[in-house]
Amino acid sequence: MEDIVCNGCSLLCDDVSAEVSGNTVKSLGLCKLGHTHLETVITHKAGSNDKNLEKAADLLADAKSLLLYGWTHASNEAIKVGLDLASTLKGHFASSVEMGSMKAMSHSIHSKGLGIDLDYVRNNGDFIIYWGADPSESLHRHPSRFAVLPRGEKIPEGIESRTIGVVDVRSTETMKMANHRLILHPGSDAELLDIIKSELEGKSSIKGTVLGIPGSELVGFVRGFQKSDCIVIFYGSGMINSGNQDANLTGIENLVEILRSTGKEAYALPMFVQPNTMGVINASIKGKHEAKSLQQLISGEFDTVLVVGDDVLANLPGPAVKALSKIKIVYVGSPGGLTDKRAIVSIHTLDTIIAGSGTMKRVDMKDILFKRWSASNDGNTISDVLLKLKELVSKKKT
Amino acid sequence: MFSYYGDKTVKLNPMELYNLLPKTNCRLCEPKTCMAFATKLTLGDISPDDCPPLLEAGFEKNLEKLREMVAPMLTAEATGIKLNEDKCTGCNNCVVVCPVDVAAEPPTSEGRAAMSKDTVFRVENGISKIINLEKCRRFPPDRLNCRVCEQYCCTDAIEIW
Repeated sequence: MEDIVCNGCSLLCDDVSAEVSGNTVKSLGLCKLGHTHLETVITHKAGSNDKNLEKAADLLADAKSLLLYGWTHASNEAIKVGLDLASTLKGHFASSVEMGSMKAMSHSIHSKGLGIDLDYVRNNGDFIIYWGADPSESLHRHPSRFAVLPRGEKIPEGIESRTIGVVDVRSTETMKMANHRLILHPGSDAELLDIIKSELEGKSSIKGTVLGIPGSELVGFVRGFQKSDCIVIFYGSGMINSGNQDANLTGIENLVEILRSTGKEAYALPMFVQPNTMGVINASIKGKHEAKSLQQLISGEFDTVLVVGDDVLANLPGPAVKALSKIKIVYVGSPGGLTDKRAIVSIHTLDTIIAGSGTMKRVDMKDILFKRWSASNDGNTISDVLLKLKELVSKKKT
Repeated sequence: MFSYYGDKTVKLNPMELYNLLPKTNCRLCEPKTCMAFATKLTLGDISPDDCPPLLEAGFEKNLEKLREMVAPMLTAEATGIKLNEDKCTGCNNCVVVCPVDVAAEPPTSEGRAAMSKDTVFRVENGISKIINLEKCRRFPPDRLNCRVCEQYCCTDAIEIW
């Protein structure tokens, strides 16, 4: 067994190990999602791409209006080269991070400095709230590794030293660990946040059932805020998808501000699933890119798209997929998927977990360095391919 | 009162065991009465061979039957834990909350995955495995009614009978 870093989800677990023999994988510590991901990508082959590189470079160099899209499965280094390539080709760098809910969530994190390191949460977080997020289904190790079960400096007894709250529109598996289980009416998140804020400020008195939640439960939940020193709210896409995303996120921001104004530590972190969503967000913030690429794509402004890492045809909304089907697609990433099949040119690369090189940003923005291991070989990484493309395109342009 | 053994459920009823005892209340054993002896048999705290009258002629079949019934209590599955691998997501919750794991491999208390062969639980190939059931605190001689792994298993993959 060798130490590896998993990129099956945004937790980027770096305390796991694996061993590969032929197409068989053995692992320790990897959750089912991570192990399945490793089992899948170990079979991928990234052979010689020289011919396809030339063809791809031709298409990119000839593009009149180029979109460079994807990136959530690419390393930070690959994203950096992608930004350079976009600059060289005067193309438009964009990603699914710009899509409605993700854009809203990422905006909230940075607009008010709500984020915090997950290791700090493990050591200090004594009131943990999952709001519209169910890590038991998507980020399996989030509760055991960082937020709920582990012991920390100020959390000597693990979960016994914490209070756990789950707010959702349905009963979730994560609720099994929770002290407070609030099932509210769909679309009433902002209203509930307002009620909590009013209660914290002593302006309201909760009576009877509120938004489907028994008053006694809601009062207990609010007392949880009052009794705790370090409150961390992990908000997921459920909070966005139930409607009123802007009001909901503003509500979370305001709640954090109110808690901070009373001398408490309070933070809010998103629950993205894709491994390097934060890397893309970070790059997008630094680059000040306009977030309207999907509208531009749908209105037919691009004639060529370079898709990097993501299977966008399987994930984008219908109108965007229709628009993509009418333009030239160059794909760089792991083999398989609709985008790979549909592309005029596909350049297959090693998955980052296999390549064992480069960094990605964990969901709390911490850089995680991938570890090289015996399954790593000198096949192409996304970063390698983009560098070669940049070189070829630069030659063609001069 | 019942216990779970391996891949099948075996219900050990004290009355069922009592009916196979000599029922003499001879006070030659430590529990003193046959009913108390049957209860201890159910818990695995005592062996049928600890009943002197049972070793006498005429009780051979009963002795054999009792030995057969309590035999699973002597095996490693006698903690009453069932782990349904189909439901397990490999979340590591059981690894991190298990007090034995924390003592055997302290980094697990901080949320890290179990890597050694000394823990009760270890997540292998994406699924939690019980690799040292005999170390479980439910196992004799401790027999503590510890249920933390079941309590914090979100998918109900772990059941304690």
